Amino acid sequence: MRVRRRISLIIAGAALASLLVSSCAPTTAPQPTPTASPKTASATPAAASQATPTVAARPQAGGVITVYSGRSKELVGPLLDRIGKELGVEVRVRYGDTAQLAAAILEEGSRTPADVFFAQDAGALGALSKAGLLAKLPDSVLDRVDKRFRSPKGEWVGVSGRARVVAYNTQSLKESDLPESIWGFTDPKWKGLIGWPPTNASFQAFVTAMRVLEGEEKARQWLKGIQANNPKTYPNNNAAIQAVASGEIQVAFINHYYLFGQLKEKGESFAARNYYPKKGDVGALMNVAGVGVLSAAKDKKAAETFVQYLLSEVSQRYFAEQTFEYPLVQGIPADQRILPLSQLETPNIDLSNLDDLNGTLKLMRELGIL
Amino acid sequence: MSSRTKPPASPGEITIPDREAYTTGKTDLGRLETPPAVSVRNICKSFGGPPVVEGLSFEVAHKEVFAILGASGCGKTTTLRLIAGFERPDSGDIILGGHPVASPTHWVPPEKRGVGIVFQDYALFPHLSVEQNVAFGLRSFPQSQRERIVKTMLDMVGMGQYARRYPHELSGGQQQRVALARSLAPCPVVLLLDEPFSNLDADMRAQMRQEVQKILKEAETTAILVTHDQEEAFVLANRVALLNAGRLEQVGTPEEIYHHPASRFVASFVGEADLLEGTIGEASVVTEVGRFAYGGPLPSGAKVFIMLRPDDVEVLPDPQGDSIIALRQFRGSENLYSVRLRSGRVLHSSQPSIVVFPLGQPVRVQAAPSHVVVFPRPDE
Amino acid sequence: MQAVRPALFVTWIGRGARAPRPPAVILIPAVIVAAAMLLPIAYLVLRTVGAGEEALQLLLTGRTVQVLFNTSLLALSVTVATSALGVALAWLTVRTDLPLRRLWAVLLALPLAVPSYVGGFVLISAFGPRGMLQQLLAPLGVERLPDIYGFPGAMLALTLFSYPYVLLSVRGALSGMDSGPEEASRSLGCSPAATFWRVVLPQLKPATAAGALLVALYTLSDFGAVSLLRFESFTFQIYLQYQGSFDRTLAAVFSLVLVCLTVLVLFSEGRARGRAAYYRSTVGSIRPPRPVSLGRWRWPALAFCILTATAALALPVLVLVFWLAQGIAAGQPLFLVWRPALNSAYASGLATAVMLAAAVPVAVLAVRYRGRLSALVERTTYIGFALPGIVIALSLVFFGVRYATPLYQTMAMLVFAYLVRFLPQAVGATRASLLQINPRVEDAARSLGYSVPQILARVTIPLVRRGLLGAAGLVFLTTVKELPATLILSPIGFDTLATSIWGATSEGLYARAAVPALLLILISFIPMALMAKGEEIGR
Repeated sequence: MRVRRRISLIIAGAALASLLVSSCAPTTAPQPTPTASPKTASATPAAASQATPTVAARPQAGGVITVYSGRSKELVGPLLDRIGKELGVEVRVRYGDTAQLAAAILEEGSRTPADVFFAQDAGALGALSKAGLLAKLPDSVLDRVDKRFRSPKGEWVGVSGRARVVAYNTQSLKESDLPESIWGFTDPKWKGLIGWPPTNASFQAFVTAMRVLEGEEKARQWLKGIQANNPKTYPNNNAAIQAVASGEIQVAFINHYYLFGQLKEKGESFAARNYYPKKGDVGALMNVAGVGVLSAAKDKKAAETFVQYLLSEVSQRYFAEQTFEYPLVQGIPADQRILPLSQLETPNIDLSNLDDLNGTLKLMRELGIL
Repeated sequence: MSSRTKPPASPGEITIPDREAYTTGKTDLGRLETPPAVSVRNICKSFGGPPVVEGLSFEVAHKEVFAILGASGCGKTTTLRLIAGFERPDSGDIILGGHPVASPTHWVPPEKRGVGIVFQDYALFPHLSVEQNVAFGLRSFPQSQRERIVKTMLDMVGMGQYARRYPHELSGGQQQRVALARSLAPCPVVLLLDEPFSNLDADMRAQMRQEVQKILKEAETTAILVTHDQEEAFVLANRVALLNAGRLEQVGTPEEIYHHPASRFVASFVGEADLLEGTIGEASVVTEVGRFAYGGPLPSGAKVFIMLRPDDVEVLPDPQGDSIIALRQFRGSENLYSVRLRSGRVLHSSQPSIVVFPLGQPVRVQAAPSHVVVFPRPDE
Repeated sequence: MQAVRPALFVTWIGRGARAPRPPAVILIPAVIVAAAMLLPIAYLVLRTVGAGEEALQLLLTGRTVQVLFNTSLLALSVTVATSALGVALAWLTVRTDLPLRRLWAVLLALPLAVPSYVGGFVLISAFGPRGMLQQLLAPLGVERLPDIYGFPGAMLALTLFSYPYVLLSVRGALSGMDSGPEEASRSLGCSPAATFWRVVLPQLKPATAAGALLVALYTLSDFGAVSLLRFESFTFQIYLQYQGSFDRTLAAVFSLVLVCLTVLVLFSEGRARGRAAYYRSTVGSIRPPRPVSLGRWRWPALAFCILTATAALALPVLVLVFWLAQGIAAGQPLFLVWRPALNSAYASGLATAVMLAAAVPVAVLAVRYRGRLSALVERTTYIGFALPGIVIALSLVFFGVRYATPLYQTMAMLVFAYLVRFLPQAVGATRASLLQINPRVEDAARSLGYSVPQILARVTIPLVRRGLLGAAGLVFLTTVKELPATLILSPIGFDTLATSIWGATSEGLYARAAVPALLLILISFIPMALMAKGEEIGR
């Protein structure tokens, strides 16, 4: 019995000691990697000059970049690691929920350990920008991407695009059954067949865009119209599209790329497909996942180069092939199964104005959707 | 005490009808005109090892207080639990008030036996007040009677003004009284008491003994008391049974047991006794301290032990005596002397408290046992 | 002779007890711990200072009141359901001759290992209108199953995965009960069933209340299950604020309302518990009660256990295995998670050790030195349990980044977050086992020259070892599935099983979530074994 007690005391002591040691250990500086020349991606001639980063912008080898990423490890982990290797820096990523990470950064304020914030949607970036926590990006970075897909103040830039679509069940519907634009779904014939994820940031951004483009009243009418059709609510886009495929609902308002993730996991027999509302109004909205550099970043140059890499051909191809999103850098093609960007009639809207989420939430709450 | 009605029996179940008839049965101790209150026949019980109780048989008459006396682990508590119904005997019968409650073919669960039990630790219901505790077993009584009975019982045990208190607010003696009241309230066939005074301190013990005796008399209840304290058994009981390793050694009145112990075990357990070697002679027993008349069946020359109690042994100061005083224990009411005989054997002598012999004083020992009790002595 | 356990002397200091003044070596750590628990409250108060009109307006809308009502209703019904379930199962596994009792004891407590976010998915997958059950029944012509979303689903999910709180608490009390009062009741004419209702159940009130408290607070704080099953609870509103508007002020206001709810719950539990001037002052051997023979009820009882274990344990495992199989069939590579598993075990193990160390002074204070201060200290530790993880995380971010910068985002901070979040469980379990020690034993040690810390180390703690093991098991179990604080406060790159599951499910990659989820449940066998061992030692 005494022996057992001794042993447990020793274990307890070791545990506490390890706790102390681990907490006091300084952040390990990475070994300076033998600087490898940046891999020249097999670039299509038209994009070559834009794809490869300029050598002059390379940071000191041996730095550390801390990224808060609202995009999951599954999705962007390999890419971020690869960028780190190519840059010769240690990339330390905290993965989490975009909104929660943004809240954390807002709490941390100027003391935040983060250098780069990689957000799932523009709203979070807008909130940080409003709080004055983001630094202006160099023009060379900003110019890679169309004005529609970056902050007008130049504090964040879109990295990949997500189009709003209507997912529909292929077993009971054909594309011709669907109305031309999303306004058509307020028709009573869609009663009980619609699903939406009102808590999802992309959906809320979509409603915000509607308010900005069409005005508060029309947005309210649309919401009420859909509500009259008894839509089913889902916590996220994935649940919604799975419900479409299983037949629980017939249509859902989500982002385009979820379909491809499901196809990958479940195979071609997955009974849902994307429908792109035809007219160039808010139903064809393109939202972006974007990135910004914190003004509190320790090594701004490194962070900027990091952002640059996200806009390199390698990274953009990654988004096209792995996550099925739209690459935003011109000249890089998207997945073949997606409607090409050129054919998408995106509405004319400044995405930074989508950070008036408060108003959207108020409206949705008022109508009892939230 | 009023009677109560019993729920109808389901087939195969044995119930005890109106018990009142049995509690007021006219019997004399020793002359049983109605069936005895408790009859235990040849019960055996083991818990997977050697038997804890073996071949036990005895009877308890109505209104009798019966004590089962023995050392710890002798099986007396098990016997009590068998009678109460918390254990089932492996073989044998138990009959309460003329109705079999345990036999190889039948078994009545405890709640149907009408046996009251006071536990060693009182086992009051901690979440109920004193009066709720006492009223607990009175569910089948009509409401109006219930209150009356509770009041009567509490007054009888002297706890009337503590009716609203909770068990943890009472002292040990008070808790015991409540436990008594609780078990007596529903008029049990027999009341079982498991070492009732072992939790009390010495002076409380004496006082409670008297009180309990009074209560039992007043309630006219049949009671079986289990204890390791011989004094307790003698004071409270009409008859005492001695249990040794699960077997009954002797049953009788306290006087019988004390003066005519049936075995060496009984002799040494009950009261103080010295066993002195002796040999049977001509109608006598010859010992170191003298010769005593003997009329028993053992043949001449047989080796025996004779039982000598301290009050049988007299010491007289004698400079030529071959015994000496080895030890004196002052006990307040008496002096108990240990006297070493020439052979080295030690006898005890009880002397008045003012008679003081110094240690080492040579004395002469004279024994005058009121009853000559001998036991065969096995060969060494 | 039937085996009897050595005497456990239990006293309860009734009213009018003169509680001695607590020594500094106990008081100071306890107060420090309690102060740490108040950090989230401090954060919330700081944040609400700038609230103003809008917050008040938001708070007083009819909708908010309705949400509040819904949440309270959910908490109440889950508490009642888990209490009934927990007491019934505890009695069956401790007091009867149910076959395979020891096995059920472990299995039936295991559902605590299933995180609510996994549980929600599982229920929808299995019982959703087009879920697995419906597909199974499709040949019989069942097109759609009734909706399990909303209140029924949320209640089912929360009940199934939190009833072990009550089960464990009541089991402890049941196995420590003396058979005396029950036998007395039998001798007074009460059948075994009546004895249960009139004698056993009332004595189980404090234990049930302790377990029910944890359930109620857990329900209030849960986000995973209610969000998946689309029940609009208060935590949902809080998360919405963070997510939708990045407005921490409004979220803080809502959180403070939740704190008020918590105080209310604590108050009512105190009433249920405090009046109990219970417990026996037994001297001598306690005879543990003999198992009740179930007779022909054995089969229904067994069926009941099987049903519960199936719904709460087998079902999640089956669904997870199904996802895994589906993923493998579609050609996805298996996602091996050894690193996160080790990390989970490491973080939880560390947290458990620290939590026990912190719980002991608080529990000792609450039991041995009863008084207003100690009651306050003990109650304060419960405040964090009802707050959603994100609130605790953000409060620690706020204070950590400003006042404890070197410790920020280190293991120390993460463990501290777990402490704030889960301490009540450790305190409750430790308290319960402390109550079973005879204070005279400690007095005896005092008279032999031991100082208070020495007594703590050499007398008290060895005697409560059994309860501490149980507490350790419980704490480990719940820490291992924690999510929001881990995401925000853990050292960068420190993946746990919980974060892996979340990462996969947030992308809809259920097959990839299956392996870490299964591993999580598997890892939980360790604390279960600890708890079982703890009970054995007492035997």
